[in-house]
Amino acid sequence: MLLIHCPYCAEARPEVEFAYGGQAHIARPLDPSALSDADWEQYLYIRNNPRGRHHERWRHAHGCGRFFNAVRDTVTDKFEVTYPAGEAAR
Amino acid sequence: MPDAATPDIAPLAVTAADLHLPTQPFSAAGLHLELVPAQARYSLRARDAGLLAATIGRALPDRIGDTLDGVIKLGPDEWLALLPAGATLPLGEGLPVSVVDVSARAVGFTITGPGAAALIATGCPLDVERMAPGRATRTLFETVEIVLWRQSETAFRVDCWRSFAPWLWAALVAGAQG
Repeated sequence: MLLIHCPYCAEARPEVEFAYGGQAHIARPLDPSALSDADWEQYLYIRNNPRGRHHERWRHAHGCGRFFNAVRDTVTDKFEVTYPAGEAAR
Repeated sequence: MPDAATPDIAPLAVTAADLHLPTQPFSAAGLHLELVPAQARYSLRARDAGLLAATIGRALPDRIGDTLDGVIKLGPDEWLALLPAGATLPLGEGLPVSVVDVSARAVGFTITGPGAAALIATGCPLDVERMAPGRATRTLFETVEIVLWRQSETAFRVDCWRSFAPWLWAALVAGAQG
């Protein structure tokens, strides 16, 4: 079973308690109407698909309920670090 | 009105019979399962724990997973209060706190006996044996979300949303029967 460290609960918890939330650190443009179609497409749809370190959002859905960010290696599926939402990317 | 044969387990005149739950406790070797009688449940949310504590006039546990006088800290800004039936809390109107009566939302079971931790481990992915007495958390039993509270080495309290309760009871009894 994959264990994920929840930075709020400060415990390693089973993966089934968590929900994946997509790529992390994507800031919504402050003024969407000022964006070109290409830029808006970039924001809405274009995501990284790295082989290796990936910054992603997770939610401890069946635990504390909070979103947090994680760095996971997409090759080994190992979580390098998890940290509260709002903090700078690790 | 509920009578002795159909004990009242949640307000809004919901009885064990309404939920198709058994009205008798279940006992097996080293295990005893029982419904918790009706009680007041409050969902408490606030960014400022001090303001919330002052609003409801009760101390709140500080650390996620800790319990204090029937109040469980579920998340950074979320608590669940399990209080005697009929207890009410001030709602804190106008304040940046959320105090919501959710008494009818859930049904509680107690699981006691030397085999209690092993029974919960049949469906719960947590390392139940390592959970310290007095700790509580939201988690899963199979696919059903539960609030699991270890009240002592051999006594657990499980709360789940009431529509899941008949299935959860059946799953626990099946686990207890081996």
